[in-house]
Amino acid sequence: MSDLLRAPAEIKYAEELDWLESIDDGPKPFSWRLSPKMIRVFILGSERSDGLDREIAQKWFGDRSFVERSIVTLASDRGLLLIGDPGTGKSWLAELLSAAISRNSTLVVQGTAGTTEDHIKYSWNVSMVIAKGQSRESMIPSPIMTAMEGGAIGRFEELTRSTSDVQDALISILSEKYISVPELDSDGIVFAKPGFSIIATANSRDRGVNDLSSALKRRFNFVRIPVMTNKKSEAEIVRFRTEELLRRHQIELDVPPTLLDVLLQSFADLRASAAAAGSDDEKLESALSTAEQIGVLEDAILHSNFFGERALTAHTLATSLVGSLARREPEDLAILNKYLHGVVEPRSKDEGGSWPEFLEGGRDAIATLS
Amino acid sequence: MSGTQQETHQETHQETFEALRGQLREAAATFADGPDALESILLGLVDDVDRAAGEPLEIFPVCHHSPASAIAMARRLRQKQPKVVYLELCEDMAPLLTELRNCRLPVAVQAFATDVDGFPPEWSPLSVVAPVTEASAEYQAIAYALDTPGVELVLVDRSSDHVFQWDARRSQSDDPAADAGEPDTSAADEEAALHGDAVGVEIGDLRPRFAELEEHLLRHGKVRHWSEWWHQYVELPLGDGDHDTYRQVMFLIGSLFRRLAPGDPHRVRVDEDRERYMWTRMREHLAATGTDPADCLYVCGAFHAASRVEEFGVHGTDTYRISPRTATTWQYGLIPSSHAAIEAQFGLAAGSVSIAATVWAKNVKRTRVEPYRLEGQAGQTGTKKTKAQKGKAQKTAPATAPAPATPAPASDKLTGFLRQPPVLDRLDETELLGWSVEIVRAARRNGYLASTADAIAVFETSILLAGMRDRAKPTPYDFQDAAVTCIEKDTVPGRRDVRRLVEIMMGGDRIGKVGYDALPPLARDVHDRLAPLNLKLQQRGVQRALLDIASRPELQQCSDVLWILRYLMPHGTARPIMGERTLGERPIQESWDVALGTHQRALIELGYEGVSIEQVLEQRLRRTAYDPQATAATVLKAVEDATLYLRSRRLADELGTRALEVLSAERSVDGAPEVLRRVRRLLAYYRTSEPVLPPWIESFVKTGYAHYCTLLPTAFTDDDATVRQVSAMLGFLFSMESLALSLGCDRTQLELAVAQSHPRDPSKTALLWAAQQQLGHLSRTDLRARCDELLANPMVLPAYPRYLSGFVQALEPVPGLTDFVVEAVSNAFARLPDTVLLPWLPTLITTLRSGGAELAPLLIREAGRIFPGRLPALDAWVPPWQAQPEPEAVPSAAGADGDRRSALLVAHPATCDAVADLLGCDGTWATEDSHHPAGAALAGRHPDTAVALEALLTGA
Repeated sequence: MSDLLRAPAEIKYAEELDWLESIDDGPKPFSWRLSPKMIRVFILGSERSDGLDREIAQKWFGDRSFVERSIVTLASDRGLLLIGDPGTGKSWLAELLSAAISRNSTLVVQGTAGTTEDHIKYSWNVSMVIAKGQSRESMIPSPIMTAMEGGAIGRFEELTRSTSDVQDALISILSEKYISVPELDSDGIVFAKPGFSIIATANSRDRGVNDLSSALKRRFNFVRIPVMTNKKSEAEIVRFRTEELLRRHQIELDVPPTLLDVLLQSFADLRASAAAAGSDDEKLESALSTAEQIGVLEDAILHSNFFGERALTAHTLATSLVGSLARREPEDLAILNKYLHGVVEPRSKDEGGSWPEFLEGGRDAIATLS
Repeated sequence: MSGTQQETHQETHQETFEALRGQLREAAATFADGPDALESILLGLVDDVDRAAGEPLEIFPVCHHSPASAIAMARRLRQKQPKVVYLELCEDMAPLLTELRNCRLPVAVQAFATDVDGFPPEWSPLSVVAPVTEASAEYQAIAYALDTPGVELVLVDRSSDHVFQWDARRSQSDDPAADAGEPDTSAADEEAALHGDAVGVEIGDLRPRFAELEEHLLRHGKVRHWSEWWHQYVELPLGDGDHDTYRQVMFLIGSLFRRLAPGDPHRVRVDEDRERYMWTRMREHLAATGTDPADCLYVCGAFHAASRVEEFGVHGTDTYRISPRTATTWQYGLIPSSHAAIEAQFGLAAGSVSIAATVWAKNVKRTRVEPYRLEGQAGQTGTKKTKAQKGKAQKTAPATAPAPATPAPASDKLTGFLRQPPVLDRLDETELLGWSVEIVRAARRNGYLASTADAIAVFETSILLAGMRDRAKPTPYDFQDAAVTCIEKDTVPGRRDVRRLVEIMMGGDRIGKVGYDALPPLARDVHDRLAPLNLKLQQRGVQRALLDIASRPELQQCSDVLWILRYLMPHGTARPIMGERTLGERPIQESWDVALGTHQRALIELGYEGVSIEQVLEQRLRRTAYDPQATAATVLKAVEDATLYLRSRRLADELGTRALEVLSAERSVDGAPEVLRRVRRLLAYYRTSEPVLPPWIESFVKTGYAHYCTLLPTAFTDDDATVRQVSAMLGFLFSMESLALSLGCDRTQLELAVAQSHPRDPSKTALLWAAQQQLGHLSRTDLRARCDELLANPMVLPAYPRYLSGFVQALEPVPGLTDFVVEAVSNAFARLPDTVLLPWLPTLITTLRSGGAELAPLLIREAGRIFPGRLPALDAWVPPWQAQPEPEAVPSAAGADGDRRSALLVAHPATCDAVADLLGCDGTWATEDSHHPAGAALAGRHPDTAVALEALLTGA
């Protein structure tokens, strides 16, 4: 595990998955490794009422019904399309689902403007074809085809980024559940094994770029993941991701909970001011998403680990916040400056704590940038 | 029940729950490591149940919109047949309940007050609503009590007046929610707003008042919202429970929520006060009628059943004094309600009341309990089940569902209930299949690309979801989730999304209707009078009415009603498509969009104000007219409306007199344009329709003449008075002049007023010149000369456009000046430099468009007359004002002035000669004869006539 920069979910949680599999006595659809209820436990964490001997941590934060609907969709013969704004955790949910269902979350096709049908179906190893002619050996299966052959979950990231003709290659895969290889005389059809399904993700901000055809739409069940608005859950996400980050970088650093509160509060303030802003010039360019928050914290942690005194301070956090959020030279800096003087300054006088240091760090960062 | 029996009864209860107590004590010790708060809570719960169950007057705990409560109630009423039913509902609403039979449920009982006395005036109007649905326990109790001979229904909760007396706003400026529920008026949905901004009261408000508790229950129950939790964990298990189980479980839940609710102290106090109130009332009733408590049934929310106030029970203390009501006059009526309105008002999940109604219908069928129904209850067909609900009756089979388990042998109903897994309905495939097919059809109708494949997927997904949530049978909520998963894509094609479609399918939103007989007299009167239109006015939606009044004169009455409704009711109730009502005009044909059914609530609330719409309109007009803020213009509008809609000369005269008073007291001229417009219109109307003018309008003109004359000089100099207002004053003075003079006004007053006016503003100066011209103090030539002067003087040139604006406004009082204004504008175009002209042009256009909409056509017509019609004619065209200098200038040259001058010269010839010498003029004196006027020659020729005329003039 340690030699991977970022281990996929099935490796990272291998032990937990093994344990869940060993105690799972629920009915399992197809060749699934876990029963739907256990998958839910794996993703959303265990409750006392689940009656498990050990605690399973929550890995994805959001409404329970989204997870349930997603699992149930995969057990039916439709594909799952997770749709939502950037930073809402669609890909993470997709990864967790495929790790729990088929212990393989790496069968991924990344949709881009340059994705071709070959990436979804198969391509040929040209030298092999020259040497041996067209055969199953000289064929390079796509991740989706591999998933079909193994009865696993294939993933398609950013479906709406790829062009319509490429998207439509999925139609026959999702309905007929096979890919025909006309180049081969015999053995020219690759059938999907039970358990195969596709989890696609799409960014709702991309709507209208490459709209899905209605034929493809009806082969997918849509689960819309909304933006997190619950402060408590957001705090949990930030905490969870930070811990993960520290583990990944093998950093021994203490993140004081008060600093986490400072970060959450400052984002909440900035979001409120963005909501109240009249024009684009009056609000930060950043969307101030949860992912952005994690980014700020990550930046601060890394900075204090490598350049600081191996302890996260409010000063570093403020520097990182200003550095990450100031993207446009005069506008963003002006807003942050206003925020520091109008909100943080009175607060540091009233509440004290980490706020005075945060204020100082913010001022220094702005002074450096402007 | 005798005293001994009661004691025995209570003892039995003590024993009954002893075992449970023991188990709970043990449980508390196990979980909390010793006796502590947990133990006291757990045992307190049992004490509460024990106390409520042991009460000699049978308490029947209910929860609102709970079909299980309703079924249990029906069953209990059939079994017990109580003689008196006490109900937790505002006591002053009692007389209305019999009217429920004329309505299609859900409707709401409303108490309404506009005349507020004893409350802050800004609270007005006060409104309390108590919605009644068919699937509710309270309806069962009402129907039983009203339709069974010899049974008395007594409402015991505090009156509507007390609802506001105990309102939190009185003591603190807190949120306006009353104690009995949070009115949520944020719902934008039209149906959800059916209750308006009334405060809702409801029987059996049962919900954790402790957010963390609710969250915990939802999380562990694997449900999304409170309604679903209730449905899953109370409703279904209790569906088939016997009476004792039902009662004990409800007591327990009430007690649980009560004990685990720190809540806000005000709310707790109000709740306790209500309990004191109800028990005091019940004891009063028992004492007054001598009824045996054993023959009574007290229906209240489970929350109140677990009460610990001292007044609780038949033997409770009598220390509570009910405060008197305020002097506010309350009106009562029934208003239509809807499931969506109830959900919005009481913060329930969307669709939950509809689902409760569906479950009720199903339970009635399954349990074969015969529910009570008011005889002749309207809207029988409304309970018709949808296709999806027509499942076959289900058998019951045990299924696993998590319930708080207490490991102990059963010795009482409660322990049994808590221990055993609840009984669930067996999976009914046919019903689910029916739903799946139905939702796909509904989705298709709403623009979704749904097909049979989707129906299959919905069916499959519902079962999978239910399995995942530990349910043997998909609940309507599982089905809803499944439908959303399989059918909803990235966009919603129509007006409704799949979630909403499922809600509609599950019984949908039912909108109640108040039947004709239950309507207030005003509303009935409106319906009667609109009957000739042959419209189904009770129905919701817009209906088109065509009124051919010329061929059917009786429709004139309907037209009158519609116009008044348009005036009084919210926008959209009655909307004229064709036809208008102006003074002195007779309608021939009209067409209307009428939506009386949709706005039934507004019509009923109108009924609280009077017995007929005419009366209400008269009251409103009077209120407007006698308002301290009223201006002459608003009062005149009221006069006009009284004439238009009520055709009431009496009211018009009364309000007109009021207008006179208001006008004399006014010191500003802000309303002058409006006053002028309205008085002109009314005058025109009275002149054509009445033999003589009403005295008030004569006085009004007289007073107005004097009034505006007085204010004119100030208005001319006052910066706050606009040109338009001053021009309207002048308009009043000039156009009413003949009438005013005939009534004894003096023109000198006007002349003096004009003479005293010295405006500084160019536009007002122009207005003054126009006025002087009208009065004959300034000739057209002088006016023209002044304008030329302005144009010639580079210092004042930039102000010229503002003079023009004044002239344009002057067309109102002096319409004869039109040609001159055209001339002035043309000159401006011809002679103003571009730097002045161009910036001014937009101002001219906007002024003409906004301020002078009625003046522009005048100008255009005049311009059309003066300017050549065709382009070739333009070259030869000379403006009339340039072509006619001689004819106008000549006659004035040799006038009386000349005579007087020459007379002076003749009288002092020496002076003249001296001046002539000085100037080097060498003239001679002409003979006097040549200067005799022509008239003198005539007199010389007819001396007799001249003599006679002289005698006449001198009065000799």
